[in-house]
Amino acid sequence: MIFNVYNKELQVGNIHILGVSSSSLFLIGDAETIQLAATFDTPPESLLIGPFVPLAPETGA
Amino acid sequence: MSGRTVHVDNVEVKSVSLASVLQIGDSNRIQGFSRALAVQRQAEIFFGNEGNFTSYRVFSEPLPLSPITEQVQMSRQYITPCIRIGKIGVTGVSASAVVHLGNTRHVSMEARVKHIRQLLPEPE
Repeated sequence: MIFNVYNKELQVGNIHILGVSSSSLFLIGDAETIQLAATFDTPPESLLIGPFVPLAPETGA
Repeated sequence: MSGRTVHVDNVEVKSVSLASVLQIGDSNRIQGFSRALAVQRQAEIFFGNEGNFTSYRVFSEPLPLSPITEQVQMSRQYITPCIRIGKIGVTGVSASAVVHLGNTRHVSMEARVKHIRQLLPEPE
């Protein structure tokens, strides 16, 4: 694949962002390779209704 | 380091926390990793030593960051060699996140989150 980029005028007046979090990237500038990956898990059984049971404690791993 | 010059008149970042970076200037390689146990509980109870990443699959399952195999011939011409920004406002940068003003080459970042909701039983 041949990919030619012609960078001309790039001007932005005002940027306002509330949050950049969880291994996110807010880049103003050039980059060669960017690889971002995320996984999250909210299965039905993670909704617990009932008396609070503390999560398994740290095993000091 | 090829890349344009970034002109920013005004930057305001209120908070940079939990292994996050506000980078002003070029960099070469960025590697970020964050994992979180996000527990929302209906009552304010904290046990202190809770949570164990190894007991949840989401923190150990393979996360395929597919290698870039495509043969790319990329050529860049900078007719206007700069990026102009007036004002940047970022309220929060958290959990291994990066706000980067300037050029970089390779970025590889990963986030793993387990959400848990603990609700009180409904009063009959």
